[in-house]
Amino acid sequence: MKPLYIIAAARTPFARAGSSLASLDAVDLGKAAVSALLTRSGIDPHLVDETIFGCVGQPANAQNIARVIALRAGLPESKPAMTVHRNCASGLEALTTAHAKMCADQGDVFIVGGTESMSNMPLYFSRRAAEKFGALSKARSFTEKLGAATAFRPADFAPIIGLKLGLTDPVVEMNMGDTAELLAREFKISRDDQDAFALRSHLRAMAAAPALQRETTPLYVMGREVQSVLADNGIRTDSAMDKLARLQPMFDREHGTVTAGNSSQITDGAVALLVASEEAMIRHDWQPIGRLVDYAYTGCDPRRMGLGPVRAIDAVLHRTGLKLDDLDVIEINEAFAAQVLAVRQCLKDPASARRAGLDAPIGDIPEEKLNPRGGSIALGHPVGATGARLVLTALDQIRESKARRALVTLCIGGGQGGAAILERV
Amino acid sequence: MKTHPLEALAAGKETFVPHPPYIPSPLETVKHFRLGVDAEYIAWLTFDTPNSAANVWNDTTLREFGICLEEIALKPDVRALIIRSAKDKITVAGADLKALRHSSVKKLERLIDLGQSTFNKLAGLPMPKLALIHGACVGGGFEMALACDVRIASDSDYTCVGLPETQLGLVPAWGGSTRLPRLIGLAKALEIIVSGKQLKAKDAKRLGLVDAVVPREYLENVARARIGSVQHTHRRREPLLLRKFIACRARKAVLAKTRGLYLAPLRAIEVVTRAPFVDPSKAMELEKHAILDLALTPETERLIDVFLRNEVASKKPWPRGVALPVHDVAVIGAGIMGAGIAHWLASRGHRVLMQDISTESLARGLSSIRDLLNEGVKRRASTHLQMRDTLDHILPDHSRAPLTHQQIVIEAATEDMALKKKIFADLATRTGANTILATNTSALSVTELAAAVPHPERVIGLHFFNPVHRMPLVEIITTMHTTDDVIATAVSFVQHLGKTPVVVKDSPGFIVNRILMPYLLEAALLHDSGVPVELIDEAMLEFGMPMGPMRLFDEIGLDVAAHVGRTMTDAFPDRLPKSETLDRMISDGKLGKKSGEGFYKHPQKATKHHWTEPDHHLMERVQERLVGLIRDEAHRCADEGIARSEADIELAMILGTGFPAFRALAAFGAPLLSGSRAREVTTLPRTA
Repeated sequence: MKPLYIIAAARTPFARAGSSLASLDAVDLGKAAVSALLTRSGIDPHLVDETIFGCVGQPANAQNIARVIALRAGLPESKPAMTVHRNCASGLEALTTAHAKMCADQGDVFIVGGTESMSNMPLYFSRRAAEKFGALSKARSFTEKLGAATAFRPADFAPIIGLKLGLTDPVVEMNMGDTAELLAREFKISRDDQDAFALRSHLRAMAAAPALQRETTPLYVMGREVQSVLADNGIRTDSAMDKLARLQPMFDREHGTVTAGNSSQITDGAVALLVASEEAMIRHDWQPIGRLVDYAYTGCDPRRMGLGPVRAIDAVLHRTGLKLDDLDVIEINEAFAAQVLAVRQCLKDPASARRAGLDAPIGDIPEEKLNPRGGSIALGHPVGATGARLVLTALDQIRESKARRALVTLCIGGGQGGAAILERV
Repeated sequence: MKTHPLEALAAGKETFVPHPPYIPSPLETVKHFRLGVDAEYIAWLTFDTPNSAANVWNDTTLREFGICLEEIALKPDVRALIIRSAKDKITVAGADLKALRHSSVKKLERLIDLGQSTFNKLAGLPMPKLALIHGACVGGGFEMALACDVRIASDSDYTCVGLPETQLGLVPAWGGSTRLPRLIGLAKALEIIVSGKQLKAKDAKRLGLVDAVVPREYLENVARARIGSVQHTHRRREPLLLRKFIACRARKAVLAKTRGLYLAPLRAIEVVTRAPFVDPSKAMELEKHAILDLALTPETERLIDVFLRNEVASKKPWPRGVALPVHDVAVIGAGIMGAGIAHWLASRGHRVLMQDISTESLARGLSSIRDLLNEGVKRRASTHLQMRDTLDHILPDHSRAPLTHQQIVIEAATEDMALKKKIFADLATRTGANTILATNTSALSVTELAAAVPHPERVIGLHFFNPVHRMPLVEIITTMHTTDDVIATAVSFVQHLGKTPVVVKDSPGFIVNRILMPYLLEAALLHDSGVPVELIDEAMLEFGMPMGPMRLFDEIGLDVAAHVGRTMTDAFPDRLPKSETLDRMISDGKLGKKSGEGFYKHPQKATKHHWTEPDHHLMERVQERLVGLIRDEAHRCADEGIARSEADIELAMILGTGFPAFRALAAFGAPLLSGSRAREVTTLPRTA
């Protein structure tokens, strides 16, 4: 397979929903990331053949959000843009779509990435209320209007929370948290194990703070005063086991083990990558930061969507003929601590492997190779952007440690897994 | 012998006359208009000056317009007359000022008469008359539209209407002063004529200057549809008492603003409050007398002259070299000047990389840009969309991003030669050899800076003035190395920004600060000797400066002024006045507006100072001495040849300091009053 080279990258700081980036929508965030990418790399925007962005909760006023971002960031009007959606892996999907396009001779240079403003997920009216609003707007005479207006009931004004809808699987009608609870039960992952993993995520992210800071580009938020947002704000420097243990379970209030502390955070952020084919890279004399070698997307039971990475890893290793040992860094997105631990167990334990759909276990992931800089539990999970962030983080790690290969994988709501293999050049 | 007619022709004999002598009809002599009547009996009169992007009124075009009108009057079946322009950006740009200038009273009177009679002829045509306005339709152009029954404007950004005559020391005299008040009422008409403001289509509609605003493509169809419903509505005329009141109020406002230094607005108030209420021939007489009185004053001639010179300076390319297009620009430094420049560039469509080493400065810079934009939206001068676009065009960066595709880099750091040299050396390593490196220094030597980089031929000074969005002047400072291509690019860049460039050879203080500094320092010295701050300012306001020197000190900051002063003192050690008070105030931390106290206390409302006994004699002497210094220095600049022409020096002073345009800056060519002599003449008593 032809490799796709990653030339440059930029991301906004990741900020907890409702905090410093709350006043920016997904377009603003994506635009900031792309502008910063163009500025930092100094490339001529006319060289970019297409912009591909992932976004899960696209704002209603920016239906093809990639196009809006591209135009506002100063990419030429003559260059197209498209938005991709593969739930939590949308940011990775943008990258792999660019690869597919390159292989099909549909472009050489792409800007890809993901953006998400979970602060700005919309509130909806129920269908019943919407019908009543419709009737009111059609009413002509005073009595008609009065009749339509008095048809409303208090319950009609109760909003449906878009974020909650988005995090619920419509096929099996399970919240994402419930799928994590299911894995915790079936694979006997205790609350303590989950909390310990969450703590590990915070501690590792804290230790890697300077490296994470290098990835980010400052954002200037126009509030009353212009605030410069310089760093991620999800990492809890005071995180400790006893504090995590005090948190109430969020999904199964009585017997559950999944809490806000051992799940990924709801976050705002965007990532942008400049990628190119080998020919384009040589033509423009660009220095790559790494390359995408291969990738795979697979499906699984939507009730156990957290196990998605298991088959995806198996598939991508098969495609490349590599073994788990050949990988120096493994980034498994931390949607839930329970889910990452379950994936790990399925990879090494034969019985668990069979339940996840593998013929045989693949192997154990060494502690030091797994999410060495923490993950979404500490940094947050702006769903559309995370896939691209993992690529950026993985590449920076193999570059820093002069290692060879990294694997990036995510579980995907709706019962899928995605995995990609990256190499240092 | 009888010859065959053809033989005679071949032989060139004059005996053969095949046709009677050819006499063209008047309509065939018309070169600037096209007249046609369509199947619906609508006459379309199109103003289309050959080989020009503009239409203007002069003797020829007015005459031709009159011929067309007569032709239409002869056709009884014409249902309506629609007047339009074939130009993309201009309907009619008003009267031809170049023809107006230096013409004799007689010629001028003839032109006024011709315009009045032509537009009266237009107004007198029996059928409905409609004017289609796309692009600028100002002055005489709008007076023509006012003589029509209906005005339909396009919603294009190019479209603007107005009567700017008073800005040039004139009054609308082709019926505009009479017809506009009748159309929209006295109060609104006065506001428009006295301010000389040009209005966008939407605002013109709101005030009633035009009847409809539609897309350009629909102008013709909308006009056709409107023909049936044209009515001659006559506004109720304001009663005498109300007229008097409005006139009095307008007069007061003008006097407060101009101190009566400009005659035209006052005369316009007189005409506009009388002409609409008397019979038409008397009204035309009033307009004519007013313009004839005004046009021949030296003040008006100078105003027109400066206007034309500014037009040339803001449009004419540099005579040598090739101007390259500029898209992307970097501004180094996000301070007041850096942010101001970035804002202006971005609002003009450039992509601006704003670099500063500190994220706090960038945040402050963006904050000031945001405030400027908010203000613009509040004043309805721009839209939310434009605000967002401008902000999208500004790319803040603190990480030394590469400067590979910027055509111009403008350094706007603190005024410190060592720092600037360091920045320039760094910029040289990060840019290509063709990138123009510009400095926004207000007094430091550009030549010295150029020496700090390889390829000094691409180093230039671009001196923007504070506040950037309001000041129309940019001094372009060239060194002996600067190439013509670089100058040409800088000139065209500044012109595209909507500013007026004046090219200056590198020398201490360039033009504006060089001429201003002796004046400012002398003002401080006068204050040392006991002349009250208010009196000095008042004297210069009376002269026509927009701001007195002491207040100007406070605005620019005493330390900044002293810094520029030092550069100048170094260059001309024996000539510049030295004020002890100034140094003392700086060491006391009284730096002007920014520190809360300078020569005045801040914040302080500009209260009008009333002296019980205004010392007019002293004020005159202050004026004489300070203006003398300005004139002397301007003279020296001209003698040294730092600008291309004396006219450029004058233009720079008018645009850069607000030096009153109606006054002569200096009697160039006359022998220079030496500085010492000038001072002798105006020595003031050292009163305590």
